[in-house]
Amino acid sequence: MSITPEERLDVSMTINGRRYRATVEARRTLADFLREDAQLPGTKLGCEHGVCGACTVLLDDLPARACLTLAVQAEGRQIRTVESLADGQELNPLQRAFREQHGLQCGFCTAGFLMTATALLEENPTPTREDIVETVSGSLCRCTGYQTIVSAIEQAAAEGQTDTEGENQ
Amino acid sequence: MKKLDTHQHMKTPVVAARSVGTRVLRSEDPRLLTGRGEFIADIDVPRQLHVAFVRSPVAHARITNLDLSAIRDAEGVALAWSGKDVAPFCEGLVGEMAVEGCFPTTMPLLAGDEVLYVGEPVAVVVADSRYAAEDACELIDWDFEELPAVTNADAAAAGGPVANPQLPDNIGLNGGASFGNVSEAFDQADQVVAGRFYTCRVSAAPMETRGVIADYEWSSKALRLWSNTQMPHYLKYMLTAYLGFPEQNVEVITPDTGGGFGMKAHVYPEEMLLPLLAREVGRPVKWIEDRRENLIAGAHAHEQYVDIAYALDADGKITGVRTHALGDGGAYHLPPWSMAVEPWCAAVMTPTGIYDVPAAEYTYKAAATNKTPVGAYRGVGYMAGTFARECLADDAARALGLSPFDFRRHNVVREFPWTNPQGIVYQEGSWLQTIDALEEMVDYPAFLRRQAELREQGRYIGLGLSCFVESSGESTATSLEHGLGDVYHDTATVRLNPNGTANVTIGLSAQGQGLATTMAQMAADTLGIKVEDVSVQTARSTSHAYGSGTIGSRGAVVAGGAVARAADVVREKVRQVAAHMLEASTDDIELVDGLASVKGVADASLSIADVATAIYFDLDSWPEDFEPTLEATQAYDPSQAMFSNGGHAILVELDAETGFVRFEKIFSVEDCGTVINPNIVEGQIRGGVLQGIGASVFEELSYDESGQILTTTFLDYGLPTMDVAPPFEIHHLETPSSHSASGVKGMGESGLIAAPAAVLNAVNDALSPFGVVLRDLPLTPEKVLGAMSGAKAATGSAEGP
Repeated sequence: MSITPEERLDVSMTINGRRYRATVEARRTLADFLREDAQLPGTKLGCEHGVCGACTVLLDDLPARACLTLAVQAEGRQIRTVESLADGQELNPLQRAFREQHGLQCGFCTAGFLMTATALLEENPTPTREDIVETVSGSLCRCTGYQTIVSAIEQAAAEGQTDTEGENQ
Repeated sequence: MKKLDTHQHMKTPVVAARSVGTRVLRSEDPRLLTGRGEFIADIDVPRQLHVAFVRSPVAHARITNLDLSAIRDAEGVALAWSGKDVAPFCEGLVGEMAVEGCFPTTMPLLAGDEVLYVGEPVAVVVADSRYAAEDACELIDWDFEELPAVTNADAAAAGGPVANPQLPDNIGLNGGASFGNVSEAFDQADQVVAGRFYTCRVSAAPMETRGVIADYEWSSKALRLWSNTQMPHYLKYMLTAYLGFPEQNVEVITPDTGGGFGMKAHVYPEEMLLPLLAREVGRPVKWIEDRRENLIAGAHAHEQYVDIAYALDADGKITGVRTHALGDGGAYHLPPWSMAVEPWCAAVMTPTGIYDVPAAEYTYKAAATNKTPVGAYRGVGYMAGTFARECLADDAARALGLSPFDFRRHNVVREFPWTNPQGIVYQEGSWLQTIDALEEMVDYPAFLRRQAELREQGRYIGLGLSCFVESSGESTATSLEHGLGDVYHDTATVRLNPNGTANVTIGLSAQGQGLATTMAQMAADTLGIKVEDVSVQTARSTSHAYGSGTIGSRGAVVAGGAVARAADVVREKVRQVAAHMLEASTDDIELVDGLASVKGVADASLSIADVATAIYFDLDSWPEDFEPTLEATQAYDPSQAMFSNGGHAILVELDAETGFVRFEKIFSVEDCGTVINPNIVEGQIRGGVLQGIGASVFEELSYDESGQILTTTFLDYGLPTMDVAPPFEIHHLETPSSHSASGVKGMGESGLIAAPAAVLNAVNDALSPFGVVLRDLPLTPEKVLGAMSGAKAATGSAEGP
């Protein structure tokens, strides 16, 4: 069975904890689906060929390029975008650390960095600076020179550690 | 050279710094960190259609057949236009620079009979969706007869095949000047050091590509144009001047913008086409550039050859400098900066730098080629000129057997104001202190010991120095000082609200510089209130304050000056009423830390909030003849050119196996006068330097001999990544400007301006055991390995010492 790019298919997925159902063209990218169909424009498109990382979202908790993923490939999957990160109406510790370390300027690449860093910190709550660079180097930023992004992720990790220690006491 | 009289709008108030100078966290960040930024791609206008372009796949060709009928018949297509369809509305954009020897071009919005570069728009399609529009583009039926492609600036300038029939000699700019006795300096020189330096073609590559949305309502002749431009007011002017849209009904809206760096400081064919398309189809139209388009059709940058020579006397002093800049301009002048700005700035604005050189001569030339038009990129021309000058300084140091610090110290200007041979006046600076500070930061003796030790182990580290002077706060005065006649002035509006908070609107759009935060700091100090009580709107709409563009390191200086002046008008109102309420003289009222106080009288104070409330609601608080408007719009333009300065020292290690340049550490010294917000200044330094590292080592837009561009994705065009980004040590010097508000100078471009020279000097320092000096960017592993193998390096202009 072959599917043409324009053929419309049913898809359902969970985005930021909410269930979405739609009928989309087979060729529709997950990025377009998130931004336009689900009205979650926080995920940005910087290159549309999988290099810059601005469109990184978490697909079943793992970073994925939404520009290279088709919406139909997300069938039945759990997706998290930048819109899921804030704690109610407060920045979460990672977002706060980006602000305090001046880890963003224009803010266009930021969602991708935040999502990649979120996955890193969930998998490894105590990354070294080298771990951070190793993991997050797949995203491009043209404004900051990167060092403050690494520092922000370090700060969030350190604060996460403090929080955990607090909980354990 | 015409000089500027000082006008009223050039004077700024003196206020107590409270917020200015502190690391205020950015007010922009919470939105941007939560996905709530609104960039142009995020904006949808009801009933919008989508636009895609067919672009030339060849560098130079005559179009012999162009048939859009299959496109027009495609499902979902509302309109398709070729050059013939758009020409009746607009023949094209005239590009030129207002200097002697500039030959203008007219760039059609869509190609006419000839295409002149790969990526030139040939046809435009309007359809229901971007998917449908791009599908339809594939249906174009066309034939073309290829013509010789001109791809080399030297060859183009020498004549031969013509790149653009409007420039039959392939020359878009040709001029020069001489100041002081240059011939004598060179005739009597003890030695002359000279070199030809090449800065390769690069892209500013902002993470957000360009984009335009146009919505035209025929019944009211109202045009709304969304563009992530750095020059919304200029764009608005162009929409009327070129297309005839009634100015009073035109609004240009600039949403959050994902980096600009100069690429977005041009007016492009796409921005002119979208309004015409919206008017034609009677619906809003939206175009978001994709990355391939951005790399082939957004302004290119930097490509030029700079020949530079110093005459040195027996004491090792520079007695004269000759500079010849030859830019590879691409096919057209892109308005307003044109292909002229790159070589012109390099030749005119940079050759003396920090050095006390008594005689200077320069020529500048821009050659037309069948490549994408070259435009502005963060420190346009300054980068190539600084690169040549600072790398030649290292050549001179080597020739004299001096350290790079000592050679610079030996020649640096020590007394201010200093007037360079062209008559450009530098009012103040910390030029010598920069050299000293960098030498101390790097611990030069320790570095030399380490370098020698590592060489024994077959490891090659190098330290490169580069010092800059940056023209900042681009203004009418700056323009006149450099022999141009461009007029700049910007406005800001400040309103004090009844509860003592303020709203500020500025005429500059922001691309990530944090202007909403720094301008809140400026307004807060002038009004004497807290920074968190000020809300700033950057130029989201041309309906508000006027601006000459977020360019030339002018945002903090110019918007800051306008904000300070407008806030000062409001401040005076508050002082008058406070004086009346406190039964004191207005002259004795100070506004600081939220209080209106009588100078020298304890307890005689009111909160500024109470005064504001009283002005709005309490007639008894008003002095006689009081006019209660707490809103003011004021203009600002610096009365004199101003220059920030600083330098970078960059430490690299060359990988002997791969030729890869590894960046160990960056030491930066910056003097931009009064620092409004150190976080933001340091962010500009880091980002700019990394762009300089990119332009030196990783990035090159390359073309083959047929004029085909080979770098059309981020896989081929390599931006610096996190794993190659070095740590920074940044040192601030503060030599306030004598005439800007709070003494602020601009600094947004200095990182990119000065870093490449430091990179090349560091690499050449590391290569010194091999007897090879490189002079061409980018410093690819191939070139470095070639140099380390002892061979004359792969580049034609590399040479032995």
